[in-house]
Amino acid sequence: MLKFALAGNPNCGKTTLFNSLTGSTAHVGNWPGVTVDKREGVYKKAASPVAIVDLPGIYSLSPYTPEEVISRNFILDEKPDCVINIVDATNLERNLYLTTQIMEIDVPIVVALNMIDVVKKSGDKIDAKTLEQKIGVPVVEISALKDEGIKELMDRAYEAAQKKRAGTTVLESSALAHVISDVRIALKGKGVENPLFHAIKLTEGDELEVKAHPDEMQMVEEFKKQFADDVFEGDFEAMVADARYKYISANFSTAFVRAKKSEKLTKSDKADRVLTHRIWGIPIFLVILFAIFHFTFGEDLLYLNAIFGFATDVDTGNEVLNAFVAVFYSSAGVSTPGAILFNLMGFICDQIGGGIATGLENVGAAEWAQGLVNDGIWGGLSGVLSFIPQILFLFLLISILEDSGYMARVAFILDRAFRKFGLSGRAFIPMIMGFGCSVPAAINTRTLADEKERIMTNRVIPFFTCGAKAPILAAVCGAIVHIWNPGIDQGLIVFLLYVFGMAMAVITVALMRQTTMRGEVPPFIMELPAYHAPQFRNLMVHLWDKLKHYIKKAFTIIVASAIVIWFLSHMSWEWHYLPDERMNESILHDIGAFVSWICTPMGFGYNTAVMRETGWVFVVAAVTGLIAKENVISTFFVLGNCLGGALNEETMEGWEAVSFLVTETGITWQGLIAFTVFNMLTIPCFAAAATVKGETPKGKFKFTVAFWMITSYLTATAVFVVLSWWWTVFILAAVIALVVAYFILRNKGKINLKFRKRSNAAKE
Amino acid sequence: MTASILSAAGTIVSVAVGVVAAGLVVFAIVYHAVRKKQGKSGCDCGCSGCAGCTACGSAKKKEEKNK
Repeated sequence: MLKFALAGNPNCGKTTLFNSLTGSTAHVGNWPGVTVDKREGVYKKAASPVAIVDLPGIYSLSPYTPEEVISRNFILDEKPDCVINIVDATNLERNLYLTTQIMEIDVPIVVALNMIDVVKKSGDKIDAKTLEQKIGVPVVEISALKDEGIKELMDRAYEAAQKKRAGTTVLESSALAHVISDVRIALKGKGVENPLFHAIKLTEGDELEVKAHPDEMQMVEEFKKQFADDVFEGDFEAMVADARYKYISANFSTAFVRAKKSEKLTKSDKADRVLTHRIWGIPIFLVILFAIFHFTFGEDLLYLNAIFGFATDVDTGNEVLNAFVAVFYSSAGVSTPGAILFNLMGFICDQIGGGIATGLENVGAAEWAQGLVNDGIWGGLSGVLSFIPQILFLFLLISILEDSGYMARVAFILDRAFRKFGLSGRAFIPMIMGFGCSVPAAINTRTLADEKERIMTNRVIPFFTCGAKAPILAAVCGAIVHIWNPGIDQGLIVFLLYVFGMAMAVITVALMRQTTMRGEVPPFIMELPAYHAPQFRNLMVHLWDKLKHYIKKAFTIIVASAIVIWFLSHMSWEWHYLPDERMNESILHDIGAFVSWICTPMGFGYNTAVMRETGWVFVVAAVTGLIAKENVISTFFVLGNCLGGALNEETMEGWEAVSFLVTETGITWQGLIAFTVFNMLTIPCFAAAATVKGETPKGKFKFTVAFWMITSYLTATAVFVVLSWWWTVFILAAVIALVVAYFILRNKGKINLKFRKRSNAAKE
Repeated sequence: MTASILSAAGTIVSVAVGVVAAGLVVFAIVYHAVRKKQGKSGCDCGCSGCAGCTACGSAKKKEEKNK
């Protein structure tokens, strides 16, 4: 089977083209660095099937980060039959820089001028035929997003793959041509493959080449000695780059005809003036984030009821109809879209749960069987299922931000703010991805060139609340609002907890930068993509994939965990069945109670006499969360049902299970918040922990685990103490002041308190 | 008569519940074990949402095994 590689700059549309060619649903994001490893699919519309390999984006074939090495090595070592070089036609000159390097390899190439529709729309013109003549390889205009020109591209690639092609370079007319030619001849004589490419890279002093060809390097140094240059003072890498750009500018760029434009700013530029504003950028981001949480978790749409106080519960005389109306409107106000979805799912779960309970009772099933189904299987399942629509809605809103190009700006504005604390904007991209799932986020850290930054980012990614932890926050905050009525919205508490997680990430990174991870913050240079309307198909594919996996997870690991939890909580060490009232004699109780005392400082251990008997449920929930974070809420449902002896009653959904648990265990709201904080910051699920281990240098993972455990324990304790006794905030402040003072003295004034250093972030 | 039929039905349902529950647990364990053996991702985050869907540990192991 023929093998074609898709190579190009980051965010030029490679994955969109890959999806279009192979019918795949790989994740497409409107920011650079979404793809971090190669992936393969098959194009079936050619004369014979063609394997298509999507490579991570690269700016040049001299890589700096691990994922860039993947692209370079694939093209050089795997020898694809053709390289389809995707070029962002809206940024022709910069994209052709990579093209000039790929051309130096002995491989057939086709240049795909992607986003040509955007170029045409702006009134600019690119003469593809002229460009083709000048470059000497086929050039095809395409729009991967609109599926235009794909057939022609593949036909020409197929045609090109039938012939061998020798590498050519644009440096032939440069001052370096002589050195390169001498090295190339020498390498060819030694039988080195792709001699032209290696000759140029050796001349540049490319690190990988120097390592791979140590013998040839001595020869290259001899050749280079004969070459003197006053401008670059022996910086051959800069000389080569300069020669390439000069050639591109003089020859290739002539194919591009820019339309006469007024001096007016584009819509993207206008939006950026506001959204990436030096002062207003972060507040705007926080407002957007708050709006997302309000529309997802809030119960009073736009706080209309809080302002006008019009809402009341509707009584239609029919219980089911009342419950249905309450989905959309209740005494809390008009429901937000997220709340409607949640209420609707809760309503459905209630009906199903009620039906199952009644059916089992009528048929005369044994008490244990009724308990196992109602509290164990359905309790565990419905706990997770009832949150799915709401969490999907949250994902939809976050995906819209990603796809529109705003999230790339967030990295940019956060870089400006947090660089002084030791974090670069590039590190924020995997962190923001952590809002979805920690696993891909941890994998994405390989785009970070600095090892220390990679370790730190991997450590704090779990602090960004993932989709699996979101139900914990939603349920706990819902219970707090409904039981204690603190006078603030559920959405606001969820938002504050999310922001707290982000703040903890920044604080711990700043601490690491001052202690174990000292070093300079790497510069942050990122190309900001243009804003565009989110693609409906992308959003739906993303949501469908999430839904599929949520359900798969619910019916496998979560339901199995719920059954095991129910079983262990209803079995004595003598293997006798225990009814709900005797759960305190169960195996699970004894295991949980054995370690429960450790959680006392965090407010969910032996804090009261009642909790001494019942607090073990929180320990069990936290431990089961290691398998999958959804298990925390599933365990709440199973044990909440049983603790209250809610057998044969309607299964509880959403926050009601937590509020029930609160009543039965006597846990305080401070303890509940601390429990949530502990779960947010502690060891993530096994899958995420294993991924972080894979992305962490050998021997460092044990420190990462210790970091998670210590941070979560200390923070949850501090949260519980401060929330319980407000005056302790002064003690905490004093401790923090002491720590800060210690580091300032230790650094002997090296810390720039005035934060004069300007951000290195650059907007291209 | 009706009572004995109901009692029998109750027993059958109870046994069935036990069997189904045990089956679900065994299925979950086998499902994950098989997926791991096949080199499929164990994270359950959803591959289309994953920035490195081919880069996860288990997929890497499969690739290495094939080599």
